[in-house]
Amino acid sequence: MFLIDRRQMLALAAWSVAATKAWAQAPMHPQERELYEAAKREGEVTWYSGQYSAEPAELAGRAFSERYPGVRCNVVRTTSQVAFQRLSQDARAGVGQCDVFSSTNGGHYIQLKRQNRLLQFRPVNADGLLPILRTPDPDNYFQSSFLGIYLMGHNTRLVSEADAPKSWTDILDPKWKDKLAVGHPGYSGAIGLWALQMRTMYGPDYLVRFERNKPHVGRSSVDPVTMMTAGERSVGVAVPSATMLTAMSRGNPLKLIYPAEGVLAALSPSAIPRNAPHPNAAKLFMEFTTGPGLSTAVRMLFNESIRPDVPPPEGARPLDEVTMLAPSLEEAERGVPEVRETWRELFGV
Amino acid sequence: MSEGATALPAAPALPAAPALRPSRFRRLEPVMLLWVALIATLLVLVAAPLLKMLVISFEMQETGEFTFQNYLTAYGRARYLEALRNSLLLGLLSATISTVIAVPMAWAVSRTDMPGKGFTWAVVLAAFVMPPYLGAIGWILLAGPNSGWINVVWRAVTGAQDPLVNIYTFGGMAFVIALHSFPLVFIFVKSALDLISSVMEDAANILGGGTWVTMRRVTLPLVWPSILGGFILIFLETIALFGTPAIIGIPARINVVTTQLWQFFEDPVRVEVAAAFAIPLLLITVALIAVQKLMLNRKGFVSQTGKGGERREVKLGPWRWVLFGWCVTVGLLSVGKPLVVLLQASFAKAWGRGFSLDNLTLRNYRFLLFEHDQAPQAVWNTVWFSAASATMASLLALLVAYIVVRRLMRFADALGFLAMAPFVIPGIVLAIGFYAAYAGPPLSLYGSALLLILAFTARFLPIAYASSQAAIRAVHPEMEEAARILGAGRLHAIRKVTAPLLKTSLLGGWLVVFIVASRELSAAVFLVGPRTRTMSVLLYDLTEQGNFEVVSAFGGILLFITMVIVGIGMKLVGRDFMLRRE
Repeated sequence: MFLIDRRQMLALAAWSVAATKAWAQAPMHPQERELYEAAKREGEVTWYSGQYSAEPAELAGRAFSERYPGVRCNVVRTTSQVAFQRLSQDARAGVGQCDVFSSTNGGHYIQLKRQNRLLQFRPVNADGLLPILRTPDPDNYFQSSFLGIYLMGHNTRLVSEADAPKSWTDILDPKWKDKLAVGHPGYSGAIGLWALQMRTMYGPDYLVRFERNKPHVGRSSVDPVTMMTAGERSVGVAVPSATMLTAMSRGNPLKLIYPAEGVLAALSPSAIPRNAPHPNAAKLFMEFTTGPGLSTAVRMLFNESIRPDVPPPEGARPLDEVTMLAPSLEEAERGVPEVRETWRELFGV
Repeated sequence: MSEGATALPAAPALPAAPALRPSRFRRLEPVMLLWVALIATLLVLVAAPLLKMLVISFEMQETGEFTFQNYLTAYGRARYLEALRNSLLLGLLSATISTVIAVPMAWAVSRTDMPGKGFTWAVVLAAFVMPPYLGAIGWILLAGPNSGWINVVWRAVTGAQDPLVNIYTFGGMAFVIALHSFPLVFIFVKSALDLISSVMEDAANILGGGTWVTMRRVTLPLVWPSILGGFILIFLETIALFGTPAIIGIPARINVVTTQLWQFFEDPVRVEVAAAFAIPLLLITVALIAVQKLMLNRKGFVSQTGKGGERREVKLGPWRWVLFGWCVTVGLLSVGKPLVVLLQASFAKAWGRGFSLDNLTLRNYRFLLFEHDQAPQAVWNTVWFSAASATMASLLALLVAYIVVRRLMRFADALGFLAMAPFVIPGIVLAIGFYAAYAGPPLSLYGSALLLILAFTARFLPIAYASSQAAIRAVHPEMEEAARILGAGRLHAIRKVTAPLLKTSLLGGWLVVFIVASRELSAAVFLVGPRTRTMSVLLYDLTEQGNFEVVSAFGGILLFITMVIVGIGMKLVGRDFMLRRE
């Protein structure tokens, strides 16, 4: 587990200049142009993604196809664990179908790298990422593509702000029985990270007590947002800030809760599998995700920008004002499958 | 097989053959080659995947050494056994509820003067056409404990705190499954009831039995085989169902065999363990079919005699309205209510906000049709995979049925057996077999359209076969014989004489396969690749996020396509084409 230095983040915020528009038609740098020419011959790129939810993922896919006409992006959006499962099924069958693999569970990349299943590549644009995201892997087998903030939320009609839980331990109080909603670590990578983080901070007892409050268990970390807007449950646990803000912008009675201990931050990479059928398009896509293109697209649906030159989304608390909690990639590789198993024993599914 | 094998090498020596061995030459009709080709196709489609699955269930991953370890892993944990127990209970409960729903409806439509029979037919058809996972989503919107419409209304009317119904329970799940499976029992029982002449009921009446006693003691026992057949079929369908248990079972915390099989496909993919876990499912199926045979063999259920006999409708008096009320209720629960809430959600910004003008939007449809990368592709995939597999299944079924019914070959029955075998193989088991046999080398079909089309063809071959068989039986061979006397070859006669006569029923079979293939999920979910996602799989992926507005809109598109096909079917083949039991 590591905490991101506040001073570091402050410096970043100061850096942040609104150069977004300038980028949209920005000329391609030489490596990008070269990759584009090669990618055009391949014609498409297949993106297995569990990082951004369906809408922003489609938005990003379209932004890619628009910047690079002639290279189609096939967006295969599922939860991260399911994306990894599909990748594993491909590998087991010996069939390469995925060009870029994006999971919220960073542990996947440690495993894939160790099994020698990734292609080494460093996009030029990676140098322009937020400093904490610049080099997730010194050997360049994977590159940052996502910064997800997972916190709590409540339906303001069912729970007033004063009564709402304030910290990750508040929700263990029996008064929240039958009122909580959460995703599933067997599907959502972020929920796996969250459960692991809670275990690290509060011990294995945390999940046991959490289970006693009978949370509604969906699959994606996004699912509780729907449960809250529908009024099925009043408090969402470990929900992504982006989906919350999107739902709020559409007039739903929701509010974000920044837990006192800090938010769960998924600093997640993407990688190119060694057997990617369109390696050049995949590399071009990595230039796109690390470049301003991805950040500019996804911030429209309230996802965090991963570059200092693209401003953060509106309505979210600036990153330098929040404490970010996150297991390391190595911890995630070992720990997430463990908590997933614990979870299944506890919850029965 | 041996005949085919020996005949083949003889082919080059043809010119000399006629004089020497006329009898041998006569057997070398094209139909022989066809027979060999058919056997090969059926082996590829049905036998090889199952065999491969059986083999790998005894293999160590990577090394391929013989081992029992997979079975120990698959059955070594309480949670996995619990899944098996849950599946069996779920199957029993769903089949029971379906029978309770369907038998009175079938009796009412077949033997009484209940009004609204056309309406009841429509209900059964609609419940059959609606994919079970869409029904499940509809019922989440209806019976979510806090937000479901039924509970919202219930609380508003009675002021109660507790919900009236809760979909996230074992009973709730079984009920939703039953609401979309009961048509099978209905079709089975009704077609059996149609054959019973009123003479038997009259005899009971004369001996003093009233309407109810007669129904209970005479009529229903006569159709017992059909009730049992429907019950077993629904039990099998339920334990093989993937969508509903994933959508309702996870929040309800009920793990079943299919969701557990899915977990074995998590990294590291343990196909071997999945196969070991699935084999008992197959054994249960075989055992059930055996039990059914045993139970029915002992008694006589002859209701058709050569003496004819008339059929009169039983006069129910005011009770006919009670039965009609029952049919209306079933219609509301299985089709009416879920459809209304799904449509509402599909046009809503947030479905929880209800029916108001400012909540209306086309955004969900726009997102799917114009902004979603894969949705239009998935629609197209679904249509053409379904059409291709319906065509393949119909063609195969026609040829096999022809050979079997006309007894053209000595081992014709083997063909028939293979064609019917998938009937008793749960879809998810077939998918694992296909994954094991064809996903990897040497064929490496994983993610290809061909793999899905082959799997759908195999899965629904029995439907096509049953309808072809019945149709061919109805055509007397004398018409073909006339053509053959006039010099036409066998295949020519089939093409010019038999096939045109069968056109309508073949089309009916084709359409039914198309419809069931277009909503298939439990096999597809294990076999799709990024370019071959079908609507059902995409819909399943969309439900992950609980975004019911978009999910409902996609469901709306799927239903629209199905309705168009059903409409075409009714126009071309007749109103009851889906529900005819042949």
